[in-house]
Parts: sequence; structure tokens; C-alpha cells
Amino acid sequence: MLSPERLALPDYEYLAQRHVLTYMEDAVCQLLENKEDISQYGVARFFTEYFNSVCQGTHILFREFSFIQATPHNRASFLRAFWKCFRTVGKNGDLLTMREYHCLLQLLCPDFPLELTQKAARIVLMDDAMDCLMSFSDFLFAFQIQFYYSEFLESVAAIYQDLLAGKNPNTVIVPTSSSGQHRQRPPLGEASLLEGVEASLFSQCLENLCDRHKYSCPPPALVKEVLSNVQRLTFYGFLVALSKHHGINQALGALPDKGDLMHDPAMDEELERLLAQIPGLVNSATANPEAGCLPSRTPPRVGSPWRPLHHARKVEAESDGSTEETDESET
Amino acid sequence: MIPGKYRSVSGRAANNVEFKLNKETPSFSGRLLQHDLERNYSSRQGDGRVISPSPRNKSSCISSTTNVTELCGLEMKTTMSSLSAFGDSSIQTPSKSRIRQGCHSAGPNVSGDHIHLASSSMPSFPILQRSSEEKILYSDRLTLERQKLTVCPIIDGEEHLRLLNFQHNFITRIQNISNLQRLIFLDLYDNQIEEISGLSTLRSLRVLLLGKNRIKRISNLENLKSLDVLDLHGNQITKIENVSHLCDLRVLNLARNLLSHVDNLNGLDSLTELNLRHNQITFVRDVDNLPCLQRLFLSFNNISTFESVCCLADSSSLSDITFDGNPIAQESWYKHTILQNMMQLRQLDMKRVTEEERRIASVVAKKEEEKKRESHKQSLLKEKKRLTINNVARKWDLQQNRIPNIAPNQDRKVSDSPQDPSQLHGSTVSAFPEETGSLDSGLSNTLQGLSVTDTHLVEVDGDTLSLYGSGALESLDRNWSVQTAGMVTTVSFTFIEFDEIVQVLPKLKIKFPNSLHLKFKETNLVMLQQFNALAQLRRVDQLTIDPQGNPVVNFTLWKYYVLFRLSHFSMQKINGTEVTQNDMIMAERLFGILAHVASSELPQYRLISILGDVRKKQFRYLLETKGKKPGLVNEENSDSKRLVGENTNRATLNYTTRDFYNERLEEIKEKKKFCKMYMEDLVKEATEINMKNEALQKLWPQMFIELVRDAVIEIRNKNSYMKLCLQQITDQK
Repeated sequence: MLSPERLALPDYEYLAQRHVLTYMEDAVCQLLENKEDISQYGVARFFTEYFNSVCQGTHILFREFSFIQATPHNRASFLRAFWKCFRTVGKNGDLLTMREYHCLLQLLCPDFPLELTQKAARIVLMDDAMDCLMSFSDFLFAFQIQFYYSEFLESVAAIYQDLLAGKNPNTVIVPTSSSGQHRQRPPLGEASLLEGVEASLFSQCLENLCDRHKYSCPPPALVKEVLSNVQRLTFYGFLVALSKHHGINQALGALPDKGDLMHDPAMDEELERLLAQIPGLVNSATANPEAGCLPSRTPPRVGSPWRPLHHARKVEAESDGSTEETDESET
Repeated sequence: MIPGKYRSVSGRAANNVEFKLNKETPSFSGRLLQHDLERNYSSRQGDGRVISPSPRNKSSCISSTTNVTELCGLEMKTTMSSLSAFGDSSIQTPSKSRIRQGCHSAGPNVSGDHIHLASSSMPSFPILQRSSEEKILYSDRLTLERQKLTVCPIIDGEEHLRLLNFQHNFITRIQNISNLQRLIFLDLYDNQIEEISGLSTLRSLRVLLLGKNRIKRISNLENLKSLDVLDLHGNQITKIENVSHLCDLRVLNLARNLLSHVDNLNGLDSLTELNLRHNQITFVRDVDNLPCLQRLFLSFNNISTFESVCCLADSSSLSDITFDGNPIAQESWYKHTILQNMMQLRQLDMKRVTEEERRIASVVAKKEEEKKRESHKQSLLKEKKRLTINNVARKWDLQQNRIPNIAPNQDRKVSDSPQDPSQLHGSTVSAFPEETGSLDSGLSNTLQGLSVTDTHLVEVDGDTLSLYGSGALESLDRNWSVQTAGMVTTVSFTFIEFDEIVQVLPKLKIKFPNSLHLKFKETNLVMLQQFNALAQLRRVDQLTIDPQGNPVVNFTLWKYYVLFRLSHFSMQKINGTEVTQNDMIMAERLFGILAHVASSELPQYRLISILGDVRKKQFRYLLETKGKKPGLVNEENSDSKRLVGENTNRATLNYTTRDFYNERLEEIKEKKKFCKMYMEDLVKEATEINMKNEALQKLWPQMFIELVRDAVIEIRNKNSYMKLCLQQITDQK
């Protein structure tokens, strides 16, 4: 509470901005919700546990969506929880549809809106063929961007649309050169060439946006980096680039790097323990890990065994489960 | 040989002058046909001797006895039919010998002693003349058997002839006999006649035998109004016609023709015997218009249903009938159906109908009737069920079309996802095609009246309880008999929102404790978490989720999630497929971590609140049922303990129905609002205190210095200060 910014703001605003109020409200709300149970083991204990779980990021499990998206920390925690719980699905190599991912999300958050999942799927599938199958990692990273920065992306979409229409939303004075260029855009022969918007202009607009955006947005430097590599780009092209960007993932801090996505030794250990507990299956579960692998659902991956941990590490560094590299684990 | 018999008969008739062909002995024609029947039998049995006499047979007949009459007599004796009928066989003796002579004369080696066949002026017709001696002896009969005649000879001066026999010749046309107007008996058996003709003047003809010819139509019989016996067997007749004026006809033989059906029998008011064996008859009509018909022979035809001969049941005179050699006779119901419908019958297929048989027939018929009524009732019920289900399906469809508009995340677009061709896309109407043709319109009308009001259907069929439509869920409140409830092991839900089913699961658990197999079809299962709800049941061995109306089945993971979440049931089959160990392991691999995270990483207070919800829900239900069955409650308690005990790391994964969840969200919103206000006040107060505190902190050092300074100034003059203090003490007192 003694950071220098604290002094710059009145206390109340500071608390609100840091979402402390959110958590305090929620804690009291939870207390209210379960007052009989909690009164049995002490209010102090409850608050300790509550704020501990907030720190650990486990407070969002099975909570309502309005709470999950309330703070960036909650969002990151949710992303992490999703990754943690369903990493195994990705590890198994299953390609799932948008709806199935949505179901998985709903297992953690019963009222998770379909819209968000759809938007995330659009990033992966480049806005078409919404019934296609997606790999876990593709979906997860796209979902991360969409979920964590959803307000930001909405603004970006609006800017993009304006740019497409030839308006410059950020500047009062419309730069004649660029606007003229955009007005000439309609000729269809050039449409494919000139698809999307000019990267530099877009970048400029986004910079402005980041400055005044009150919600969390990706680090402006990284956005700039993404945009500096290309001349023109489409909205979904931009989102794909964001979702695949290492730095943004790191800055967000919820998920491991793409290469390590399938790696979670602690949980794997836990899983082995759980498998050993399946009644009657002790031997087969420990002696023959491959037995658990599905024989035929995804033919190209039949050979990809569910390896014990020490093997898995290396294999998964090569094959991260994304669609374009399905067969590498077999080599 | 029949002709032979007739001859003998007519012989007697001739003696009596008056031809009284058994008008007074009605049994005669019966016997006659009986005889014919027997004959047909024998021919059927293999040698075809009579109908189409083989050369061998013929020659043996001729060479051994050369006496047709005798042969006939023998035949008659062996068939023991007619002799007794005639009463006195003595009549035959004279005629027999005489005819033998006649026969001799008619034999191949025509002597010309008795009969003279001479060519007439017209080259084509021989002229027959008998010696006067012959004429006197047999003034009324003439036999021209086996004369290789190709045409009828002109018979001169024989106007008194009453009997004329042309058996076994090659005559192709009946002619030159129109002058024999007193003819009573004309036998043209076994010739090559193609058309009935030349008979219009023979008004007194009583017996006309045209068996074994080539006649294609019955025709030109208009003037033969006195005809008593008409034998047309062994011809090529395809239909019965031009006989309605033969009101005296008693015997009609149409065996071995090409009849395809029987009708046009009007006017044959005296017909007592009708032989239709060996045709291709498929149906019989008009028989009920024959007031005297007693014997009807339909053997060896193509009758396959009783309906096609049902007019027989309306004939009151019929006492003897044969159906052998028809498809109908092969049916198991044949005998009793016939007997039941034709109570007047005395003989069936040549066998006497006994009382016992009749009794059995009536019993069987009664049973049949009952069965019919039962099946009718059943089909009525079935139809009702079908219509009800249709109705429910329609309602469901309507509902489903509406729901996507309200809740877009439930829209069922998934069902036409291309990767699953087996998916039957939502049109339930196609699953129940309209097929009302099976029931008569009156019936379906009454049913429609019923079905409109039926919006749900509950059916217990053996061990299966089927529920259609959400209204059917109310049936779980009913008092089911212990037996029924115990028997039901399969519960099937169709056209019911899964969320509605979830609400009755506790009831289901108590009312049908043995239900092991759950079936869901058109229940809008869209999410994996919905399966969580099933965990509260006592036991589930099998789960069948029909892809129709349950998009969740399209997911690759759904089976594993079910296995994972319901692992405490040790399920054996999912959608009919055995669950293997590998499946179990896979399920654990996929979702084990979820369970682990859910149980171990969830903060204590959340765990309690989530588990508490489950428990609270059960508790609420228990309160409702409490007092009625304390035993059950105890069981329930131990059950829930077991559930919690077995499943702690999964119990946190539960499902609250959408409505309930929304309700809860509303509740939370309220609380949040309150909390927000409360916190706002609290924080404001705290920040104010903090601000004051900070201000105080800022001021305090200066204040302290000031205070110290004041104190120091005060005590600088020790004496005066001391005085002051003392003064104060005394003042206090």
C-alpha cells in the first residue's frame, strides 16, 4: 500500500483501481453467502483463506462469469485454471470444436458466454468455418487474447472498422493522404492486395487507444512490434499475430510458453497418483501407460503415446499439439 | 361310363315310357355327381382313364367285354353308387343284353346287319338307317359309340328316338338331329365339338352330355328349358354365362374348365349340384342366389381366402362342399373358419362334419374373435400412443424453435455439423411418419379427439418406463405400486428438457430404486456439465444418449466425461458400447486433473458452500418427504454420505439447471449490491479515518513541541509554580 502511485490518488479511487474493493466486496459477499458454515470456523480464518486463494488464483473456480471477468487478475487466474485442468485434453491430441471448448469452459464457469468462445474460435479459424476442429494450444492462446483483452479488442475492432471505412477515429483532423487512399479502396481487383488496413496507421491509432484505455491492454511496445513487421493487415490477422506473440503471453503471465504448454510436472504427478487409485486398474495404469491412449479417434496421432513424464518433456518441445505439426511426435 | 349309366337309366325310363329322370328321387343326381366325383377322383389318382380314356384302356374295354353297359355296370358296382339308387336292377338286365348287341353292331367291325350307314346324296353326311327289326326292338334309343364318326349322320325315320349316344367319336359339330324333337337324352361325350349348336329344336331334351369336347363358351341353350342335367366338364369354358333361363337344371358340371371365377348364377332355381373342380377359380359369387344348391365342389381351384367365397355362408341349403386342393385348405384356420361360418354344412371335403368339430370350430372362432378384439384394442392404443408422441414431438419442435431465439447459447446449430453424418438433424416429424392408413377413418377420428389434449405420454412396458413430454415427469409423483416400481430398470426420457429432468432426479431415485439404465432422446443435452446432475442418482449401469436432440453427443469427449464424472457408478455401457478399462483410464487422464484442482485447490469456504448446495438441495427434498417414510430418509442419509465419501473430489462438479442458476445469479446480484454499498461506506469511513489520522500525524510533532514549550515555560519559576500547585490542592478540598 505504500507504492508511490498511492499518493497520487485519493484512497478510494486507488483501492478501486487496484481492484482491492472488488475483492473486499466479494469477500464480504461470500461471507454473507455462507455465513452459517463460515461462522463455524471463524471469520478471520475465512478472510485469510479468501485472500490466500485470491493470491493463488484459485478463487475463480466455479464462480460466476461476472466475477471471473471482473479483474485482470481474475482473468489471468481463469486462464491458468483452464490450462491446468484441460491441458490433458490438449496433450491427448484431441482436436475439438468451438462448442466442445465452450463446454470445457463451462465446466469451470457455468455461465460462461458462448459469444466469447465464438470470438476466440474466430481468431483461430480466421473468421470462417466455425465448425472446424482446433488444437488445444491454438485455441488456448487465441482465447487468452480474446478473454484477457476483450474490451481492448472491441475498441480495436471499432477502430479497424472506421479505418476500413476511411475514417480516422483518433484524430480530429483527417489526414488527407490516407483517407484518400482508403476511399479509392473499393475497386475489386485490388481488394485482395489491399485487404485490411495499413499497419502504420493502425499502429498509430492503437497507440492512442492504449494511452487512454482504462482496461488492460497489451504492452504498447509489443503491439507496435507486431504491427511493424507488416505493411497491411486485417483485423483477424492482427489478432492471430497477437495470440502467437511470445512477449504478450509472457507479459500476461497466465500461461507458460507455447513450447512448455503441455508441461506441468506437478499435475502430471498428481494424475499418475489418481490413475493408480482407479480400482482394479492399478497394474495396467502404471505398467502400461499407452493403454490409456485412445486407439482410433484421431488417426494421425495413434502412434503418439502418452509418455511418462521424463520422455514427454522432450517430445512436447517439438510437438506442441498445434494443427500444423501433428505428426512430429511420431518420429 | 357315365353315359353308360345314363343309358341304363334311360333304358329304364324307356320302359316306363315316361322319362322320369329321378324327379322323384332327388338323391339321384347327387349320386350321379357323386359318381362323377369318384370318377374324377380316380382320374386324379393317376390314370386319367375316364376323363381322357387312354387307348390302352379303351382297347382293353372293347376287347375283353366289348360291352359298354356291362363295363358301366361293373363300374357302378365298384363304386356302389347308383344300383341301389335305382332300386331295381332287374330293369337293366334286358336292356343290357340288347345294348350289348347294339354295341356289337356299333363296334369297329360294323356288320351292317342291324345298322346300315350309307352315303347319301349329299356326299359329306352318311345316312343312317336301321333295320325295321332293330327299330322295333329299340324304337326309342340309338347308340353310335366309337364309330369314328366325324360328322353327325342324318338319321332318318327315327322321330321317336328319345336317347341318342354319340360317345367317343370325332364329331366336330352338332347337326342333323334337329328332327329328333322327342329326344330326351343326348350324349356327345368325348368328341371334338367346338361350339354348342344345332340344339334349338330339341325342346324336350333333359340330359345333355358334352363332356370332353372343345367348347369355349356356353351358348345356344336358349330353347332347352327342360334341361335337367348339363355336363360340360373337360372343355375350355372361361366363364359361366347364358344359363340363367335353365330353371329346371339340377346338375351342372363344369369341372376341368378354365373358369377363373364363379358368378352369373341367377335363375338356376333348381340347381342342387354344382361341380367346379379343377378350374382356376379365385372367388365365388352369387351362390347365395341358388335356393336349392346342396352340393358344391370347388376342389383344386385357387381359392385362398374365406372372404373370396364368403357368399357361401349365406346359402341356407348348402350341405356339402369341398375345398381340398385350394390354398385355403392349407391354412390353419381353414376348417374352423368354414365350419363356423357355414353352420348348415353336413359334409366338408367328403367327410362328415361332426358335432365335436363344430364345437371346436365355434370355440376357436370365439377365441379368434377375442383375439381380434384384443388386437384391435391394442392397435387403438398403439395408434393413440403414436398420435400422442407425434403431438408431443410437434410441441417439442415448436419449443425448440423458440428457445434458440431466447437463449442463443442453446441454439442447436451443432446438429448439422458436417463431421457427424450420423446425426439426425432435429426434424422429429420425420421420425414419426404419418401412417394413418392402417386404421379406419372413424377410429382415427375418435383418436384425434383424444390426442389433441394429450401433451405427454407415460408408458410402462416390461422393465421400461418411457416418458414423453415434460408433463410426463409429473407421473413420478404418482403412487407407483411396489411391484411396478421394482420392475422398472430402464427409464427413457423423450422430448423433455434435460433441465426439467434434473429436477425430478431425486424423485426418480426414490420411486424407482432399481432403475439402472437411463435413456435420453430429444432432451436438449448440450453441455458436458449437465451430466454432473446424474451423479446424484443411486446407481446407473447404462446410459443411452440418443444423438437426436442431444448435441452433446457430437463431442469427442462426452463419453469420457460421463465416465469420469459418474465413475462411482462403474458404468457398464454407454450408448450400447461396453465400457473398457482403457476408457476408464482415458477418462481419468483427461479429467483427473480437473477433479484434483476442483477438490484440492478450491478454498475451504468454497468447498463447503458448493458441497453445501448439494446437501442443502437434498435436505430440502428430504423435508418434503419426511414423516411419511422415515426408513427411506435414513437410507437417503447414508446414501448421500456414500456419495460424498466416494466422490469428494468430483462432488464439486455439479450442475444447477439454468433457471436455478439464473435465480442464484440474481440472488448474488442482490447481495453484491448490498456488499458494494456496505463496502463503500466502510471504505469511505476508513479512508476518512485514515485522512484524519494522517492530518494528525502531520500536526503532531509541532503540537508536541508546542506542548513541551508551554510546560517548560510554566515550570521555569519553581517557587511560584510550587505555590500554584499547593493552591490547587487546597482548592480541591
